[in-house]
Amino acid sequence: MARLLRPFEYRGPQTVGEAVRMLSEYDAQARVLAGGTDLIVSMKKRQISPRYIVYIKDIPDLNYVHYSQETGLTIGALATHRSIADSSIIKDRYNLLATACNKVGTPQVRNMGTIGGNICKAGPSQDTPPVLLVLDARLKLVSLGGERVVPIDTFFLAPFKTVLQQGELLTEIQIPNPPPVSAGCYKWATKTVAVDETLVGVAVLMSVDSADGVCTDIKIALGSVAPTPMRARQAEEVLRGKRIDDRLIGQAAQVAAGETRPRSRADFRRRMSRHLVSEAIAETWKMIR
Amino acid sequence: MSQKLSVVGKRIIQPDAAAKATGNAIYVSDITIPGMLIGKVLRSPYPHARIKRIDKSKAENLSGVEAIITPEDTAQWQKFDRGLKDLPMIAGGYTVPADEGVLNERARHFGDAIAALAAINEHIAEEALELIEVEYEELPFAIDPEEAMKPGAPQISDFAGRNIGKHMPYAFPEGDADKALGGADCVVEGTFTTTKQEHCTAETAAAVARIDISGRLIVWSQCQLPHLARREIAHIFNMPVHKVKMITPFIGGSFGQRGSLCAEPICIALALKTGKPVKLVYSREENFIALESRTGFKCNLKIGFNKDGTLTAIQVYMLGRLGGYMGCGPMASAIGMIFGLGHYRCPNRAGEADMVMTNTPVSGAFRGFGNPAIMWGIEQLVDEAAERLNIDPLTIRLKNIKRAGETANMGLRLESTYLEECIKQGAEAIGWREKWGKKKEGAIRRGVGLATMTHCSGAAPLYLDHSNAFIKLNEDGTADLVVHPAPVGQHIWGALSQIAAEELGIHAGDINIVTGDTDVTLFEYGSDASRSTYVIGNATLMAARNAKEQILARAAEMLDISPEELKISDRKISSRVDPKKSISVAEVCYDAIYNFKGECLNISGKCSWESKWNSPPTGAFFAEVEVNTETGKVTVRRLVTAMDCGKAINPMAVEGQLEGGMQQGIGYGLTEDYVINKDTGVVETDNYDSYKMPGILDMPETKVIIIDEPDPKGPFGAKGVGEPGMVGVAPAIANAIYDAIGVRIRDLPITPEKVLDALGSG
Amino acid sequence: MKEIATFMVNEKHYELAIEPHMLLVEVLRDELGLTGTKHSCGIGSCGACTVLIDGRPVLSCLTLALTVRGKDITTIEGLAQGTTLHPIQKAFVEHGAIQCGYCTPGMILSAKALLDKNLNPTDKEVKHALSGNLCRCTGYVKIIDAVLAAAEAMSKEAHP
Repeated sequence: MARLLRPFEYRGPQTVGEAVRMLSEYDAQARVLAGGTDLIVSMKKRQISPRYIVYIKDIPDLNYVHYSQETGLTIGALATHRSIADSSIIKDRYNLLATACNKVGTPQVRNMGTIGGNICKAGPSQDTPPVLLVLDARLKLVSLGGERVVPIDTFFLAPFKTVLQQGELLTEIQIPNPPPVSAGCYKWATKTVAVDETLVGVAVLMSVDSADGVCTDIKIALGSVAPTPMRARQAEEVLRGKRIDDRLIGQAAQVAAGETRPRSRADFRRRMSRHLVSEAIAETWKMIR
Repeated sequence: MSQKLSVVGKRIIQPDAAAKATGNAIYVSDITIPGMLIGKVLRSPYPHARIKRIDKSKAENLSGVEAIITPEDTAQWQKFDRGLKDLPMIAGGYTVPADEGVLNERARHFGDAIAALAAINEHIAEEALELIEVEYEELPFAIDPEEAMKPGAPQISDFAGRNIGKHMPYAFPEGDADKALGGADCVVEGTFTTTKQEHCTAETAAAVARIDISGRLIVWSQCQLPHLARREIAHIFNMPVHKVKMITPFIGGSFGQRGSLCAEPICIALALKTGKPVKLVYSREENFIALESRTGFKCNLKIGFNKDGTLTAIQVYMLGRLGGYMGCGPMASAIGMIFGLGHYRCPNRAGEADMVMTNTPVSGAFRGFGNPAIMWGIEQLVDEAAERLNIDPLTIRLKNIKRAGETANMGLRLESTYLEECIKQGAEAIGWREKWGKKKEGAIRRGVGLATMTHCSGAAPLYLDHSNAFIKLNEDGTADLVVHPAPVGQHIWGALSQIAAEELGIHAGDINIVTGDTDVTLFEYGSDASRSTYVIGNATLMAARNAKEQILARAAEMLDISPEELKISDRKISSRVDPKKSISVAEVCYDAIYNFKGECLNISGKCSWESKWNSPPTGAFFAEVEVNTETGKVTVRRLVTAMDCGKAINPMAVEGQLEGGMQQGIGYGLTEDYVINKDTGVVETDNYDSYKMPGILDMPETKVIIIDEPDPKGPFGAKGVGEPGMVGVAPAIANAIYDAIGVRIRDLPITPEKVLDALGSG
Repeated sequence: MKEIATFMVNEKHYELAIEPHMLLVEVLRDELGLTGTKHSCGIGSCGACTVLIDGRPVLSCLTLALTVRGKDITTIEGLAQGTTLHPIQKAFVEHGAIQCGYCTPGMILSAKALLDKNLNPTDKEVKHALSGNLCRCTGYVKIIDAVLAAAEAMSKEAHP
């Protein structure tokens, strides 16, 4: 009901070191502010009332998209959804990530919101995590004690909970080169209208042996159908090492739907999972064949 | 009527558009007055609770807080009916009891106002609000009408036994529906439910109030009915009417929600308490829970037909959820039945409604006012009957629609109707012949459907339908037109300018609209019931005619010829006989004032108009949908609205009304659902993250067809067109879904889950 | 505690002392009197509070005013030159794309961000560019018409 914010103390660190020092000092009383499209809403709804706001967007060199053949793709945590979706290297080599970033929010939200925020919110329905799961992304977390790199599949613990410790800041997302002959896509259904929270999101990344057309590897990840973004590993097994056909796609989709653990609108989410997994595999197969 | 028109019918630019395009337009929320305080309201977190104790001491001690009011403080003022309107002409003289205080000791719904405060800024007001401590005694509550009517249910209002706020009989019953249904060859029946729909006005409710040194109350209000609001406010606060001045700035959307008092009473109470100007702007959440939104209904319908498709009987029972106060809700059933049961020619018609009080936010007027709810069922049942009788949906409607000269929905003679043209032209535009009734295959299936409807042009003969217009000619031949519609975005200033200019033979841009101040404007019922163009338009036309007669008389004298010989066009008066004899409107008007003969005459015309007429607009809606049978998703591909709204004063403005109606109709049909938790009474959809109205990507390809045939009673042939645009959209979509996949959805909104359930594959 | 922030609004330089919890929409409306920027849903869903920061549409109701230091802000008041309307404003006026007008400033600014980059947008590109702005009056039909017409007019102006 409030339209405005409660007072807080504002901190605008200019370096990552400064930021993590503040976060460590203020501990649970602090929140990191980047794009603000999520945090400010929670503060207006009085769901949280942090004493300290640590605004990190003025830290230089955290907003980038880099690519090299050797190291693959690195994205600064402050890269906005817009800049990722518009990046030619990402559109070219990691199109599913561009697709997911274009799905997030509205044009305004994509201009403001950062990929770091989308990951760290850890809501079940965020769009980038399923894509990052199939891309084998790793997250660089920096704290006073140094830095660590964690694979994204160990990052999410529960809805809105991650392995991120107090005083730790996500600074970079590292994504390896996709396998040589591979393709992927991101498919979703929204809750109600076209621009809306994701009801089910599905990311698929598939590689094939170009000689015999066999699916050598596939990763399927789903969002919004379990407490955290999840891989559908049993469904992947159905396809791995096989020559893909419609029957097999249907079977994998069915298995994937069975792996989901949705809470609300459960039957519908399972049905949509099946539908979208099937669509995503078929589309990926079409791209790569 | 084959009048040659030079201003009416043109797509003129609206006088207020540039102000709105540049940020220059001032809305109530934008107003700042020196010394102005900001108000804020404390609202009940429970659906039904007695306030045992309010401790405001902590809040009062906060620096910058100027006043806190509780129900104790507001007891000195009169209880009121927020809906402002009653219907003396129907249901045995129906009036709404004054049942609501400015603040109330017993919260009757989640979000009911408990206390309010004023502070020097909004930050302090918000902080102070959180410091008020309230001890509630939670009371048993009823969310659904069925529960609320059961013995032992909590009594919500003293005026409503068994919580039935109003038992409402249909106002124009005819014949014996029971008997006719018994003898009908084909009876179709069903229960249809509709949801509460929130208006989602872009600007939230807001008011500014100021008491001047003489004790006059000045209120900047968004109310669609400023003069009725003035009367009610004077009554509530024990003031004579002349001590209250209502100002109507630009209004950021209304659609019926501002037809009731919204932020005004609490804002005024705070201004009276502090003696300072107060602005009160509701948050979006408050707009959802504190104000009236569309009534949710359950309609039991039964319709009888002869073998040949002739409609013989129609019977309805509507059960409506009113919420914690009566508001405008009861009328939604009365009006819905009048429009719904009066749409087709039918000799046996019966209907009744129970409008039940519940511990939920209040229901009230929203574009269409009950009509969308009843047509949601009627138009689906007509399709069902058509199928059973093996007649196509177009033919069964063409057979039963009323023709000019018959009795219209409100008991008056139907002066004009072009519904047949609407049906035919709409069918052509959607490609009915090629698309309807074809066998569908595959996972994704397309279908087309239609719905027809009628509505009103004003409130006559059910309620007072009064408008006043005054027009004065300036010395250069321009004119000031004094009227008081509510500028909610319907382009009414432009339409009234066109009507006045056409009659006076001047240009639309020559008219200055003087409005928005009850000190200056004469009594006006307001913008409601699709009446502004039709009723205020007629008043404007006759005021202009009155002035024109004076202009011609004076010109005749100046030219020394008879007034009958004169015509007036393009700012010039000339003789029909000898075109060389001419004089400009400006010269005549100048001479009237600057004549130096002791006669200062500001040529002016006035009309006090009680509309005894009502020319219902009629229309046909066509939808083409695509249904995914695997996911249940319904996508509207095309919408066509063909509307007989008489002569379009400004076709661009008419299109705008109908296109906006489509968005609201799609929302009503597919996406908008006001969810109240049955266990807690809490509104779960209180902002756009949970309540979903269609955005730009949800809109299909659209087409508007305006029949543009003049009605004999409307100003230059115009009829009302504010509300009809959304009425037929949802049933047209439902009928299209049936055409696509062969199942009927009877419960709004149409969600994918419901579609899958109906297909037996949920 | 207030902090000093300097930034540009509509090509004018401002230096203001701002409380950290003040939102940009508050500063624009209450401090600078630029009430064309509207406060509507408060949670970033409706786009009525849209302003351009360095040419990109953002939500002023979710932006802390202190965070726009050094930035270039455009509000609806910055488009017209005196009484001469910007071509997008002119197109909105002429096409009947404005009804209640409360969403209009945000719509026009979203449209401007699009047309500043792309003078030849498709119908689909227009819809996507405006998909963060809700309108309850128009059904969006005439808004789309207006943006396409403005694109044409601006394109003619740019390449006569």
